[in-house]
Amino acid sequence: MKKLALAGMLAVGLTGCSSEEPQVLNLYNWSEYMPQEVLDRFTEETGIPVVYTTYDSNEAMYARLKLLDDSAAYDLAVPSTYYVSKMRQEDLLLPIDRSKIEGFDNLDPELVNLDIDPENKFSVPYLWGTTGLAVDTADIEGEPVTAWEDLWQDRFDGRVMLTNDMREVFHVGLRVLGYSGNSTNPDEIEAAYEKLSELIPSVRTFNSDAPRMPYLEGETDVGMIWNGEAVMGKDTMESLEYVYPEEGIIAWLDSFVIPKNAKNPEAAHQFISFVLQPEISALISEEIGYATPNLAARDLLPDEVANNRASYPNATDMINAEFQTDIGDDALQVYAKYWEMLKSGR
Amino acid sequence: MTRWLPRTYLTLVYILLYVPIVVLVVFSFNESRTGYAWGGLSLRWYEALFNNRAMVNAMWNSLWLALSAATVSTVIGALTALALHRYRFRGKKLLNGMLFVVMMSPEIVLAISLLALFLLVGLQLGYVSLLLAHVTFCLPFVVITVMARLSGFDESLPEAARDLGASDFTMTRTVLIPVIMPALLAGWLLGFTLSLDDVVVSTFVSGPSYEILPLRIYSMVRVGLKPEVNALGTLLLVFSLVMLMLSQWILIRSKR
Amino acid sequence: MHRVMQQPFKTAVLILVWGWLLFLVLAPNLLVVGASVMTRDPVSFLSLPLNLDAYRQLFDPLYLEVFLHSLYMAAMTTLVCLLIGYPFAWALSKVGKQRQLILIFLLIVPFWTNSLVRTYALKLILATNGLLNSALMSIGLIDEPLQLLYTEGAVIIGLVYLLLPFMILPLYSVFEDLKQELLLASHDLGAGRLSTFIHVIVPLTLPGILAGVMLVLLPAMGLFFVPDILGGSRNLLVGNVIKNQFLDARNWPFGAAASIVLTVTMAFLMFAHRLSKRRIGEEGA
Repeated sequence: MKKLALAGMLAVGLTGCSSEEPQVLNLYNWSEYMPQEVLDRFTEETGIPVVYTTYDSNEAMYARLKLLDDSAAYDLAVPSTYYVSKMRQEDLLLPIDRSKIEGFDNLDPELVNLDIDPENKFSVPYLWGTTGLAVDTADIEGEPVTAWEDLWQDRFDGRVMLTNDMREVFHVGLRVLGYSGNSTNPDEIEAAYEKLSELIPSVRTFNSDAPRMPYLEGETDVGMIWNGEAVMGKDTMESLEYVYPEEGIIAWLDSFVIPKNAKNPEAAHQFISFVLQPEISALISEEIGYATPNLAARDLLPDEVANNRASYPNATDMINAEFQTDIGDDALQVYAKYWEMLKSGR
Repeated sequence: MTRWLPRTYLTLVYILLYVPIVVLVVFSFNESRTGYAWGGLSLRWYEALFNNRAMVNAMWNSLWLALSAATVSTVIGALTALALHRYRFRGKKLLNGMLFVVMMSPEIVLAISLLALFLLVGLQLGYVSLLLAHVTFCLPFVVITVMARLSGFDESLPEAARDLGASDFTMTRTVLIPVIMPALLAGWLLGFTLSLDDVVVSTFVSGPSYEILPLRIYSMVRVGLKPEVNALGTLLLVFSLVMLMLSQWILIRSKR
Repeated sequence: MHRVMQQPFKTAVLILVWGWLLFLVLAPNLLVVGASVMTRDPVSFLSLPLNLDAYRQLFDPLYLEVFLHSLYMAAMTTLVCLLIGYPFAWALSKVGKQRQLILIFLLIVPFWTNSLVRTYALKLILATNGLLNSALMSIGLIDEPLQLLYTEGAVIIGLVYLLLPFMILPLYSVFEDLKQELLLASHDLGAGRLSTFIHVIVPLTLPGILAGVMLVLLPAMGLFFVPDILGGSRNLLVGNVIKNQFLDARNWPFGAAASIVLTVTMAFLMFAHRLSKRRIGEEGA
């Protein structure tokens, strides 16, 4: 009797919540990478609530998707360039049904049909951006900061911030040494590690959740930042400048992909179309400061956004810029090992 | 000298323990957005909290999870405690030892082992996996609470009941359960709180289909200073204070 | 008659609890042991052949440094907790009974409050523009704000803050049991205060010390969110390493091996605790 009652209770407890499954869109995105207003408007228009979950690195996003595998319920994710090709090759993505996507033709021809995903069978560009130098000009005295190399100067001891992103940090180390930021050569990676480990003692913190925050909170004065974060940060702190380093910025493109096990690919397509509407794309770019690949949206942008060099770099800014590419799992392991050493170093 | 020194010391440590909590509560009523400076009294962060649909949703999920985890672990834990108290059986020591090990294990060890299990058996990460995990780490605490109560319990009562012809089951229901009721409630409340507070295990065994409050808070505090967190923290504080007082009240009343 | 009646109930309960423990504690831990001797696989996480590479990696001087640093921070946390908690527990045991109940209640309250939120509150205090710096500057003790946040010290402060009650409670309970007469006897036999402390009080409170150490040291190695919030994603704990291996770098064998290190540490501490208790028992008899 007791046993039965107990079993019954367990069963009730176990099924109690999983029975009702309303239609939702599970969006897995970088933190601070989508204005709440866009989500609200999407829900208003379609009646589909959006569950917004965040990650702070491509590695974490990828690991979680792999981990959850069949039980993954993410309907949309936003990997960077090099992870799009990786995930596509590993058959982790659903093809995008172009007939369900409106507004694809608005996208910048230079940012579609790239090597990472020929003909954009699996991905639709969301935003693109750059990683450059942030300088709090109110707290920095002396020579202006113009290059990644400058971060190594003694005067910045304890005031430097790096993103919590393995590839980006090594990109900086490699560029300072004159190598490609996408190097797969173990010797070069090790050299970059050696170089970066000289920088570590002056690094205050790593942050990829909201890289603008340590600057705004007064913890750091100089270091790496994403351009959109710099734009958002400048709203509250006028003295925060975005600088294009001489060695060249890191450029990336983040795209919508639909994971293989999405429960609601229909809503995912709807959401992509929703974002591709020029006014929505413009709103996003204006709110969070990254560049939209949507040319029709570009025309709608207010002048101060469209002419903001931080959001939309000009040709000189892009000299030496390097796009991140997929470097393969072996090289990734080498990076990972040195990364852990770097972060635990004094 | 011997009197005031210990007292001053105690007071000092208590002040240190409570300063952060006081700061949190005070700042939850702060109008200013920047977080450090005082900008006048305001309830705007509480308002922002309740207007955040995802947050409210996570709150309900967490409450339901804590409720069910506490209940299941109390049932299993109480039965286990009774069995350990009443019966002789092979492996009793081992059972005791295993519960002790579960209690002592660092949460992260439990977390990855459960993750490995759930992946192997193909259990979807979500409510069920969270429930199984939370019950597992709550279980030893319930067992200990109930055992403590049972060990102070007069053995002659069940004997008398049995002599009067009561079956074991009836005896358990009519004599034992009322006696251990306070311990059950205390154990339940402890389980509820542990579940509501857990970050480490939940980080590993939760899925997107069931978002819970601690993880939501975690992603918020990682972003930086968010005044909403102060408001939420204050609410949680009040909530757990009520729970704690309730459990103390039950325990004290039962002793009379 | 009794046997028959009680059998089904007993069997049911035992099956339930054993089933739970075997399926959700023993089996998963065996899986972790298994994972630790397998080979990392970029696609399916784990693959054959079996080997001890993950353990070898632990002793790689590079990772060894990570572990030693984490161990150092956990040890410092434990030491600070002990230094604060020992006199605290002693003082607490000297307070009148009625007041003691209230004080213990006050000690447990923070433990019932969300630990993430409390860690976050520490950030408000330790930040460069935070309350501590503002206070120190306004009373003129310092001119420049101190860099407190995102340091090793901040991580240790955070851990101590979260774990202090776990050190105090077991210590308090041994102080409660400490027999007043024993101390008086030692005093009568001419032992000085210091020698009474070293030769009588410390050995008698040893089980409490070890229980406290166990309750503080183990979580202090695993609470990965403390370095995330207060350590600026630096000053990593073993917990961070394990989490990264499972949720970031996807090196499961290594993560599993690292978690086994924690389990072994736990086993060692438990053994020491038992031993100390047994010794006290013998002396008391």
